[in-house]
Amino acid sequence: MSTELDVFLANTALISLIAIIGVSLYGILARPNIIKKIIALTIFTDAANLLAILVGFRRPPSIPPVLLDLQPGPTEITRFVATAVDPLPQALVLTAIVIGMAVNLLIIFIALQLYRLYGTLDVRKVRRLRG
Amino acid sequence: MEVTYLLLAIAMLFALIATYLAIVERNLVKAVVLSAVQSVAFTLALYLLRAPDIVLVYLPITVGIYPAAILFLIKKTEEVEEL
Amino acid sequence: MKKELLIATSLAITVVILAYIATLGGGLGPLFSDLRPLAEVFLGTTLNPEKRFFTAMSPEGVTAIVWDYRGLDTLFETAVFYLAIIGAVAIYRDISEKVGFKGGGLGLSKIVKVVTKLLIPINIAIAISIALHGHLTPGGGFQAGAAMAVVPMILIVVFSRYFLLGLKLSKSLALAFRSIGLAGIALTVFLPIIMALLSGFNAYIMQNQVKANAPVGFPAYVGNVLISGSLILYNVFEFLAVTFGFSILFLLLSIEEDLVKEQMRGEVGEH
Repeated sequence: MSTELDVFLANTALISLIAIIGVSLYGILARPNIIKKIIALTIFTDAANLLAILVGFRRPPSIPPVLLDLQPGPTEITRFVATAVDPLPQALVLTAIVIGMAVNLLIIFIALQLYRLYGTLDVRKVRRLRG
Repeated sequence: MEVTYLLLAIAMLFALIATYLAIVERNLVKAVVLSAVQSVAFTLALYLLRAPDIVLVYLPITVGIYPAAILFLIKKTEEVEEL
Repeated sequence: MKKELLIATSLAITVVILAYIATLGGGLGPLFSDLRPLAEVFLGTTLNPEKRFFTAMSPEGVTAIVWDYRGLDTLFETAVFYLAIIGAVAIYRDISEKVGFKGGGLGLSKIVKVVTKLLIPINIAIAISIALHGHLTPGGGFQAGAAMAVVPMILIVVFSRYFLLGLKLSKSLALAFRSIGLAGIALTVFLPIIMALLSGFNAYIMQNQVKANAPVGFPAYVGNVLISGSLILYNVFEFLAVTFGFSILFLLLSIEEDLVKEQMRGEVGEH
């Protein structure tokens, strides 16, 4: 079925994804500039969405969940169900990407207004001002 | 050995290196460009995971719209992060 | 740069060593096992002419799930996107973008302008094709809207935002087109119920095809062409709403800071 080399490569991909989540979490918490926090937040969201799609994968040989026959009979549908990857995580991640993007664009507008009112984008200095 | 697994592992390691360099970079314009490089590596990984709908959403947003909006924001505010 | 590159490479080598240790111990778990039963139900009924009461009549599995099987999730996600744009427009409520008009000759150099004039129609054609074929191949409303949203951004950067104002694309026009897209989605949501109330049958909200106890639905074929009922209408209206939503944001972000400050002068305190 799957050899040792396949298991090693798949584990490399999974552990590096967890490492990306860890590095971007450090970026959100430890860097004081708001723009750096926004960049780290987008990387964190992307890595979490990739983890959700990785759950729905199927061992190769597999095809995307698109049926290529416009008038399928029962044999084509059975073969399609036996080789396609899971379409439900992809639909949920599509919704999650659009919502994350709307919230990130709103955060960019709020950061701009914050700079106009406080004169700085450093959270340590904004905490000390009183508006 | 499956080509899918090998290319997936290479793309994720490349994305890890680009992420670390983007987070510790102090010039914000370079950080945004490195984040776009990481997004290209993620797009290759999403294609290998048989998700073409997600690729079509992900590529214009993270390589086109996010860097453009953040570059507008950088131009109107500060450009170098102070530690 | 050299020190950080060294640290990043050593981080990657650490991940490879950790994966090797995990492989010696039998791996981190079963490697991509078989599908769950719910996925088999979705894949088995996405285009199945023999089970007319369960199918979505669309060969594209993800679009059928997004707009037919889990249509209410997408409806509320569109509402979240709409509210985020309202929030951004509310931050800029007193600021008009029709100020500061200068003469011509702005933007980048001539070479960039000529290349952009060649590429913009190609971009628009690809985006419309993705929207209209969203029920047959990978694509759909969001994908097309994101691909088309690059066009106003490039026009603002290459030709300057006064070119967009000269084309009469102002904030109120973009808001009007976005409202047309959202009204179209709302109409398609309620159309089966209106048709069923007029003829005395049963119907569901966001219904695509004919069901066993709800005999009112959208047609799956027009002539010989497969249009998958309501999926093509949802894709087209969502494309309109997303494209013009993004162009509102870029129009507002590109107003120059000194023009904004002189319009905001009554609200800004001293710092």
